[in-house]
Amino acid sequence: MNKADEPVGVAAVPLGRAVRRVRPRTLGAALALTAATAAATAVLLPAAAPWLHHPAVQAWRTVCLAITVQALPFLLLGTALSGAINAFVPADLFTRVLPERAVLAVPVAGVAGAVLPGCECASVPVAGSLIRRGVTPAAAFAFLLSAPAINPVVLTATAVAFPGDPAMVVARLLASLATAAVMGWLWLWLGKEEWLRPLLRPGHTGHRHGHSRWTEFRLGFQHDFLHAGGFLVLGAMAAATFNVTVPRSVLDAFTGSAWLSVLFLAALAVLLAVCSEADAFVAASLTGFSPTARLAFLVVGPMVDLKLIALQAGTFGRAFAWRFSAATTVVAIAASVLTGGALL
Amino acid sequence: MRRPVQTLLLALTGAGLLHAALFTDLYLRYVKAGLRPPLIASGAVLLLLALAQAAVRHRLSGDPGHEHGHDHTGTPRVAWLLFLPALSLLLYAPPALGAYTAARASSKPVAAQKKGFAPLPAASPLPLTLTDFTRRVQQDRSRAVGSRTVRLTGFVTPAGEDGGWYLTRIIFTCCAADSQTVKVRMYGTEAPPADTWLAVTGTWHPHGTLGTGTAQAALDVREATPVAQPVNAYTDDLPLTPS
Repeated sequence: MNKADEPVGVAAVPLGRAVRRVRPRTLGAALALTAATAAATAVLLPAAAPWLHHPAVQAWRTVCLAITVQALPFLLLGTALSGAINAFVPADLFTRVLPERAVLAVPVAGVAGAVLPGCECASVPVAGSLIRRGVTPAAAFAFLLSAPAINPVVLTATAVAFPGDPAMVVARLLASLATAAVMGWLWLWLGKEEWLRPLLRPGHTGHRHGHSRWTEFRLGFQHDFLHAGGFLVLGAMAAATFNVTVPRSVLDAFTGSAWLSVLFLAALAVLLAVCSEADAFVAASLTGFSPTARLAFLVVGPMVDLKLIALQAGTFGRAFAWRFSAATTVVAIAASVLTGGALL
Repeated sequence: MRRPVQTLLLALTGAGLLHAALFTDLYLRYVKAGLRPPLIASGAVLLLLALAQAAVRHRLSGDPGHEHGHDHTGTPRVAWLLFLPALSLLLYAPPALGAYTAARASSKPVAAQKKGFAPLPAASPLPLTLTDFTRRVQQDRSRAVGSRTVRLTGFVTPAGEDGGWYLTRIIFTCCAADSQTVKVRMYGTEAPPADTWLAVTGTWHPHGTLGTGTAQAALDVREATPVAQPVNAYTDDLPLTPS
């Protein structure tokens, strides 16, 4: 990449240029050295530091790695889709397909979430690229929230986890759709574009001249994956910390009060960060809690959890992520209580 | 993050996934067997991305304007964190969840059997899963299991107090983050070291009324033989021995 053998010092100005040109190479060398050190540390540290063999640390690493490994294929699918939307889909396709009025586009986008099979990690980058392609953010957010909760894979898993209890599947579908739509409308009413600044930075939209579409796809895909992947690891670390430090038997203390148990299971969904394809099985195992509390677990989980907050902070910016997550939690709990009260 | 480092990171992550899912069974410690094809595909895609990146760099290295071409996006520093799982998988994969997790979990509630129980097979000792054993003990009104010698397989989790121990299985439905524990209390022998895999033969330990919820899932151990960890360690199925 750099021409080290380029003649330098011919004049004062080229010298400056030469210095600038050498710098990336030194940086690259420094980084390679860091990577090598990191690798060496990873090999040698276990021998040197006995605490790494402590069962708690081992369990933490296992859970952390499990969340990451489980999510990587879905994240890859999501970022590939988002890269493809950026590079190949004409900009006006979505604006043509979605109703012109944002108020109507929100529920349509929410229902469209049913077509993205997989769990929540895939939907964040896709929603990001939809916004960059000119879809109104409110509709993209409705899609973001509904996709991981109402796709056929997740609903089938829910039906399997609650055999003989189809009301749970219906309640999950309805409560999730309602939450997604309400959050979309809430964004229309209260949302501010400036919260999305990192996403709307110029120079990151669609096809540009000078690159083939394939290069564009590859670079967008790669950038989004590395970016979101880093945040995924961060979120997995947070969730693993909770998972390992708080024994599951603590849960039983909260089964008594109906209200407390709804809030508690909603909080648990945020902290546990279980993938939306698996959360129905976890909810089914939380016997002792009321069906409404378990519904809250199923509705909140795919929309808000530690790894999602980290992913959203990476994709949409921190200012957005915490406001959106807080509001979504409240709306999702309300929707679960209402739906649960009517159906369960 | 510089582009060579990005290439390295993509290659390492891809290699890590392939190492865990294609060349070894490491992935079974973390996720379900069904995730193997997507994991292998992901590893291959990441390696291809790294290759494409390296090839393009190589091809265009003579073009001085190229360096300014793509760096506008500037992958953030958080991407460095991806080195951790990649190197973990390649160099120092953490072990599967074991006694530490099981000791801190309450036992997974056993679903009620609605259809009634089929007669037990005639084999003796009778191989049963921990879940089936618990269900027979607590729900089977015919109390057939009370008079039988059964064989259960799992790993050892110390009970903490009084030197007692459980035979346990950790099962998960998606990944190790949603793990659930099934425990059966063991009586009559000293606790073996934690995390030892055992095939235990014995009879029901009378405690509570057999066939009702008061009955404890417990076994009077007659014989405990160490076994290799089954391939399907993370289900509560009858053990498949490693090949």
